[in-house]
Amino acid sequence: MNPAPAAIDFRANSQQVPPSMPGAVQKATAKFLGNRAALVDLLGNDLWQQLRQAGHEARLHAITHLDAYLIQAEQAVAKAGGHVHWARDAAEAQRIILDLARRHHVKLAVKSKSMATEEIGLNHALEAAGIRVLETDLGEYIVQLKGVGPAHIVVPAFHLSKEEIAALFREKLGVEAPAEAQALTQIARQKLREEFLAAELGISGGNFLVAETGTIVTVTNEGNGRMCTTVPPVHVAVVGIDKVVPDWESLTVLLKLLARSATGQKLSCYTQFISGPPRSEGETGPREMHLILLDNGRSRILQTPECRETLLCIRCGACLNICPVYNSVGGYTYGYPISGPTGAIFAAQILGTQAAGSLPFASTLCGACNDICPVKIPLTDILLHLRQRVVEGDTLERAVAPAVLRAGARAGALALRTPWLYRLGGRVLAWLQIPFQRDGWLPRLPPPLNRWTLARPFPAFQPGFRTWWRSRVRAGSRPQ
Amino acid sequence: MAITAQLFITCLADQFFPNVLKGMVSLLERLGVQVAFPAEQTCCGQPFFNSGYRTQARELAAQWLAVFGRTEGYIVSPSGSCVDMVRHHYPSLFPSGSPEQRQAQAVAARTFEVTQFLVNELKVTDVGARFPHKVTYHASCHLLRGLSAREEPKALLHSVKGLTLIPLSNEETCCGFGGVFSVIYPEVSQAMMEAKVRAIEASGAEAVVACDAGCLMNIAGGLRKAHSPVRALHLLEVLTAEGGAA
Amino acid sequence: MDTRSAREEILGKVRDALHRTAGASVPPVPVTARVPPRPGGPLEAEITQLLAEIEKLTGHTRRLASRAVLASALAELVKTEGVTKATLWTTPDLIAWDVAGTLRALGVTLVSPQADKQLVAGCELGVTGADAALPETGTLLLRAAPERPRVVSLLPRVHLAIFTPAVVRPDLHQAFAENKDAGYSVLVTGPSRTADIELTLTLGVHGPKTLYAWVMDTP
Repeated sequence: MNPAPAAIDFRANSQQVPPSMPGAVQKATAKFLGNRAALVDLLGNDLWQQLRQAGHEARLHAITHLDAYLIQAEQAVAKAGGHVHWARDAAEAQRIILDLARRHHVKLAVKSKSMATEEIGLNHALEAAGIRVLETDLGEYIVQLKGVGPAHIVVPAFHLSKEEIAALFREKLGVEAPAEAQALTQIARQKLREEFLAAELGISGGNFLVAETGTIVTVTNEGNGRMCTTVPPVHVAVVGIDKVVPDWESLTVLLKLLARSATGQKLSCYTQFISGPPRSEGETGPREMHLILLDNGRSRILQTPECRETLLCIRCGACLNICPVYNSVGGYTYGYPISGPTGAIFAAQILGTQAAGSLPFASTLCGACNDICPVKIPLTDILLHLRQRVVEGDTLERAVAPAVLRAGARAGALALRTPWLYRLGGRVLAWLQIPFQRDGWLPRLPPPLNRWTLARPFPAFQPGFRTWWRSRVRAGSRPQ
Repeated sequence: MAITAQLFITCLADQFFPNVLKGMVSLLERLGVQVAFPAEQTCCGQPFFNSGYRTQARELAAQWLAVFGRTEGYIVSPSGSCVDMVRHHYPSLFPSGSPEQRQAQAVAARTFEVTQFLVNELKVTDVGARFPHKVTYHASCHLLRGLSAREEPKALLHSVKGLTLIPLSNEETCCGFGGVFSVIYPEVSQAMMEAKVRAIEASGAEAVVACDAGCLMNIAGGLRKAHSPVRALHLLEVLTAEGGAA
Repeated sequence: MDTRSAREEILGKVRDALHRTAGASVPPVPVTARVPPRPGGPLEAEITQLLAEIEKLTGHTRRLASRAVLASALAELVKTEGVTKATLWTTPDLIAWDVAGTLRALGVTLVSPQADKQLVAGCELGVTGADAALPETGTLLLRAAPERPRVVSLLPRVHLAIFTPAVVRPDLHQAFAENKDAGYSVLVTGPSRTADIELTLTLGVHGPKTLYAWVMDTP
C-alpha cells in the first residue's frame, strides 16, 4: 500500500502561480497547437478522424482484454530474454529496482523521461539508498537541477528562461554557461554523455508495450531514451499496465497520432523498439533487460466502466495544450507530474478523491480536450463522473464533500424544483438586492457568492419575463 | 400550418435577461411560430449535475420532464448549455431502459437551442434584422461542442443588415464561466475572463454577441469592471434590435 | 525479487474489474482499429519525397550514381565534419562498397563498435545502412544485430546512412511487418533535437547532431 498522499489544494495552488507562468505556458502551447494543426491539415481531417477512431478502438480493445495481453506481453518478453516483474504499487516497484541496483552495485543510474517513474517517486527512493539518479531528458535534467517537478509532460522546463537555466548550470555544474539555447544544450550533452558512459543502470519508461512481440516502445527527440537503454549494462523499464497495445498494426495507428498530437511533428526523432536484451554476443546494448509492469491503481480504474477510458491516454499532452485552465495556471497547480485534463482524471483516481478531489473540478467542462484527444477519451464525461464520486461517493470511494454542502444542495434543489418556491425566491432576491444595486449591477455579493464578485460585478436580478407574459395573456394577445 | 414552440426560458434568463426572452417571443411570433410558456418550469438542473450532485440533478430533471413532457411541439431555449443538458445528459440520469429514460429521450429529441431551431428547423437565416454596428462573436462552449452549433449563429449574424462581423482572436476559447467553476476557482475564472475581455477590446468591436446567459453574465461583468464601452448582447437582442419587432 | 504473487493479484484485479475469467478468449482486434497504409507511388517520386523530408529535418541528402561518387562524397564529409575516427556497420552493402577502405585511405581511424564505449563515443562519424526508408516522414528504420550494432547510429556526432532505393517502403505498416521480429530496431527521423529551452529548437542533444542520408543508385 502506498502511504496516504497529501491533499492537493488546487485553489491554493492557483493563487500562487508566478506572474511569468501564464505567458510562458501560452507561448509553448500555441506553438505545439499550431504545428499540430498544420499536420492535421496536411493529412486531411477525414483521415485524421479515421485515425482517432482507430486509435480509440485499438486502445479500448487492449484495456478491455488487458489480462490476456499482459500475459502475452510477459511471455514474449521472457522468450526474448528479458526479466518481467510485477509491481502492485509504488513501494513494490521501488523495492524491485533497489534490489536490482544493489545486486549490480549501482552507484549511478541514468533515466529517460517517464511519467510512471515520477508517479512512483523513484528518484527519491534511489537517492535515499545512496544511489545517484540523473534525469537525462534536457527539460527533466534542468528541473531536477532546480529541485522541482515538470511543468508540462512534454516540455518540463518551458517556463524557465535561458538566463535562469544558464544561472542554474553555473551554480550546480560549476561551468561557464552563456544564456543561449544551443550552447546550453551542448553543455548538457557533454555533461550527460560522461554520465551515460559511467552509469551502471539505465531506467526508462515505455510509451507502449506491444503484446505481440513483447516490445517496449520509447519515443524521444533527444536520443536520451536510446542512450539509457543501450549504454549502461543493465536496463530496467517501468511500464504501466495500461500501456499495452495488442500488435504492431495497432501501434502504427498510435504512432501516427502521437507525435502529431504532442508537438506537431510527423514522428519524433527516435522511436525505439526493444524486445528483450541483445540476442547475441557482439551486439551492443545492455547485458540484462528488466521490465516492471506497474499497477499502482490502474486495475482499480478499470473497475468503473464510466472511467475506464482514463487508461487510453497515450501521454501526448494535447489536452494540456488546448485546456484554457491549464493555459491560465500551468502544470504545477495540479500538484501532480501529469497535469491538465488527463492528469486531473488520472490523479483523482490513482491518488483517490480524498487527496485529489479538487482536481475534477479544475475545469469549466468546455470540452476542447475531448475534440483534440487523439484517442477520443471522453474527458469531460469522466470529469463529471469523478465529481459525482467526490460529492456523493460510490462503491470505490466515500463522499468527500462536507455534509453541510450536501445539505445545502438538497435544500437548493428542493427550492428550485418547487415552482412557487422558485418564483418566490426570485422575487425575494430582487427585493433584497435593492440596497446593494449600483446601476443595474451588484458589485459585491455575500459569501460564498462573493467569490464571483472578487473577479467582476454580478448583474442585478430582473425577473421581468413572467409578469410580462401574464399581462400579455390577460390582455388576450395570446392564449396560455 | 402553425409550428408550436414551448419556451424553455432557463433560470438565468428568467432572473437576469427578460429582454432576451421577450425578444425571443416576438421574433418567433413574427416568423409564424405559435409560442407557449409552461409556467411551472424552473431550472433544468445543470448546476447540480455539473457539481456532481447527480441525485439533485435527477430530481430537477424529473420536474422539468414532468412540465415539458405534457406539452407538444418544439421546445426552444436561448441557452446552448441548458439544451445540451437536456439532450445529452438527461437520458443518462435515469436507469437504462426505464420509462423515465424513454421519456427523456423523446422530449430531448424535440428540444432545441434557438439558433439551431431557426436555421435548421425553420430554415431561416435572414429574420429581417438590422444592427449597423461592429460586432464580434464568442462561441459558447456547450453550444459549439455539445450541440455542434458552429455555423448557425454565424449564419444568422451574417444576414443582419449593416452588421460588420469582426473575428474574435479567441472565439472558441472558454470565457471562464463554467458554472460553479466561477465560484470554486475564482482566480482561474478571472484570468480566463480577462483574457476574453482583452481579446474583445482588441477586436475593435462595439458589441460582443453570445448565445448563453452564463457567458454573457461573465463577459458583461468583465467588460464593466474594465470600464469598457463594449456591450455584451445575446444574439436574440441583435436579431430583434431594429427592423425586427418590439 | 519474486513477484509471482504480485502478478496473480494484479491479474486477478484486472479480471475482476473486466468480468473476465482466467484463460478467457480474446476476440480479434476490431477492423475499425485499423487504418489502410499510405499507398506508395512511383519509386522516383518516393525517393524525391524521402530526401525532401529529410532535408526539412536539417538532414543532408545525396544521391550517389556510382562508387566513385561515394568515395568523393566521403572525402567531402570527412573534411567538412573533421572526422578523425569512425565506427561502421559491417553489413554486406557497406562491405561491397568498401566504405571502410575508403575511410582508411582518407586517414580516418576505424574503431570497432564492439570496442569500449568510451572509444566508440570518441568517434566523430558512425556509418550505417538502413533497413527501411519512409518517404512520408523522412524516416529510416535501422535494426540491430552483431554486424549492425545500435551504438553506431547513436554515439558519434555525425550519423551517415547509405542505402539503396530497394529499402523504400510506402508506410510504417510494411516496414514493421518486415522488421518486427528484430530484437531491436529504431526509427530515425532527423538528427537529435530538443525545444526544452524556451521552445527554441537546438540540435545534437544526446544523439547525433548531424544526419547524412545517401541513396546509392547503382548497387
